[in-house]
Amino acid sequence: MNRVAILALKDLKLLYRDKAGLFFTFGFPLVFSIFFGIIFAGIGEGSSKMRIVVVDEDHTDGSRAFVNLLAESEELDVEEADRATAADLVRRGKRVAYVALPKGFGEARERMPWGAVPRVETGIDPSRKAESGMLRGVLTKYGFEGMTAGYPDPAPMRRQVTAIRTELLNTTQEKTAASNDGATFLSNMTMFLDHLDTFLAALPSAPDGTRHGGLASDERASGGFAPIRIESVPIASERATPTNPYAVSFPQGIIWGVLGCAATFGLSLVTERTRGTMVRLRSAPITRVHILAGKAGACFTATVALTTALLAVAYFFFSVRPDSTFKLAIAVLSIAFCFVGIMMFLSVLGKTEQAAGGIGWAVLMGMAMIGGGMVPVFIMPKWLQNISDISPVRWSILVMEGGIWRGFTFGELLPWCGLLVGTGIVAFAAGVVVFRRVEGG
Amino acid sequence: MLCLTRLCKSYGKIVAVDDLSLELRSGEVFGLLGPNGAGKTTTVAMAMGLLKPDSGSVRIGDVGSPDAASVRAMIGVAPQALALYDDLTGTENLQLFGRLQGMSRESLRKRVAWSLAFAGLTERASDRVKTYSGGMKRRLNLAAAVVHDPPVLLLDEPTVGVDPQSRHAIFKGIEKLRDDGRTIIYTTHYIEEAQRLCDRVGILDHGRLLALGTVEQLIADYGGKSVVSAETADGAIRIETDEPMAEIARVQQKRDVRSIRMDRPDLERVFLNLTGRHLRD
Repeated sequence: MNRVAILALKDLKLLYRDKAGLFFTFGFPLVFSIFFGIIFAGIGEGSSKMRIVVVDEDHTDGSRAFVNLLAESEELDVEEADRATAADLVRRGKRVAYVALPKGFGEARERMPWGAVPRVETGIDPSRKAESGMLRGVLTKYGFEGMTAGYPDPAPMRRQVTAIRTELLNTTQEKTAASNDGATFLSNMTMFLDHLDTFLAALPSAPDGTRHGGLASDERASGGFAPIRIESVPIASERATPTNPYAVSFPQGIIWGVLGCAATFGLSLVTERTRGTMVRLRSAPITRVHILAGKAGACFTATVALTTALLAVAYFFFSVRPDSTFKLAIAVLSIAFCFVGIMMFLSVLGKTEQAAGGIGWAVLMGMAMIGGGMVPVFIMPKWLQNISDISPVRWSILVMEGGIWRGFTFGELLPWCGLLVGTGIVAFAAGVVVFRRVEGG
Repeated sequence: MLCLTRLCKSYGKIVAVDDLSLELRSGEVFGLLGPNGAGKTTTVAMAMGLLKPDSGSVRIGDVGSPDAASVRAMIGVAPQALALYDDLTGTENLQLFGRLQGMSRESLRKRVAWSLAFAGLTERASDRVKTYSGGMKRRLNLAAAVVHDPPVLLLDEPTVGVDPQSRHAIFKGIEKLRDDGRTIIYTTHYIEEAQRLCDRVGILDHGRLLALGTVEQLIADYGGKSVVSAETADGAIRIETDEPMAEIARVQQKRDVRSIRMDRPDLERVFLNLTGRHLRD
């Protein structure tokens, strides 16, 4: 048998016989996945602000006021951009949706409740039904809010009424002058408009309530009136939402198993040195490359086996169905490659088992904390989400989710996989260099 | 069979081995005797090819340096630390080390059985090593060194921390290996082990080889005379002599002797005379 395989099998056998190590490698990630899957089932993504892009194509006071209203909202995290950029951000999953205010939005909004209802366009992945529904609700809410906010100031409305009145008078005088009922109609119209003028004049100049005309916004809404017309523009998206909470929690749990493998095998290399077995291995007619390759092979095999086992549990017991098994396989292999390299590097940082264990877990925990291994990235604060991009844990979760539910194309998946593999190569090479120096000879 | 030529090795400012040269004859047991820190383990590591000397060279017979993996196959090593996997059984440990040596399945099966019998562990072969006593682990450590039937053995303090029964078993095993014609380097700081097992002994201190020869030669050259000590009615007397038995007889004839004792020179005395220190200082 190949000597690398002999060494790898030895390490796998030792892992299998170390019950505590076996639990923390295989059992703990499963418990983690199920536990957080249950928790996330009750939370969902709605617990944080929805990140959207607003496209103001109208550039009027009215459209600006609406943009400001959205920016100050509690539900939305708003960024402004042009339509192309906004669509791209949504397509790439950087933002949940975009809201475009087309030409005429401000004027239509100022004429409310007369005239055409102001129109907005939302760009969102049709499959993101939850976010889509939420966004419609939020836009409707702020549509009402903006409208009722205009009522307390009667001046614009008065201007509109006066303008309409003048227009009506001119039109009706011309069209009804020749008819029999023309004089009566004109008299009635004049009387109605005079009464309306009297009513508007009686309005307070700056009232603070939201009620107007005996109807609250919600009451109007329930009556079927829409303060804003929302037209959805489907984005050919490329992103999807998780099919269930376990599609989020299992990648996280798996990452813990992967970290456990890296820590376990990294420590085992130090143990070989401190307990003397490294001397015996090196006295055999094998090279250091054999020894390191054996250790790496065992770590790689354990990582892939762990990931496969947990994904199988997720598939059969928690209905987590990957979008693409092939892409998921590429992701898993890339992750294993990356963390084998990291394992190798960590294993040579400490001279004693305590030092190596401490350093290893400190580094791996740090990666997990900022990379979404503890809590999903989407419920992290924005600044932490940005930092998380430097963590291999984040990349790993992303590529796994890419194969499970994000619907990554190869173009989206492979760069991340390349990053993982590249990191693995660099870390492995660094580990080998230090190992040669430590082992001498 | 094993030739170390002018080996030097330093760790920073600390000189571990200083210009050490040795040539082991085929089939002899060579003892490297010295206190802790004398440079014994460093010498063994260089002889195994695990440690690169700052200068000097190591050769195994006519085949070359142990830097080459194929040459290392001729060496069996029992490191000072117990180089065993606690979670594997005795058999599994031996099988692992045998496979790494490239042994065939049939040869491995026979040699594992032989090695277990050699170590007196056949009955415990299927138990995990972590259930073994310290002495059993030491014996298995030695068995792992011989499983691939190497002509050269490097045994680095193979009896450290074992009970007298296991020590005796290890001695018997090494004597058997010597009788089989293997060349053995045996490092120790126990005088009695060197005297019992070694055909020749090199005395090492601060990385330097102070003396080399058979035990008898070393004692003759560096041990000094025998000492006869006696308690008499006239007080204590101490006499250095080359003929201690005759001296004892003379003392007993002339004086009222209450107690008498004779100390022949041994390797401890040799070491004391060479270094001014006792071996265990």
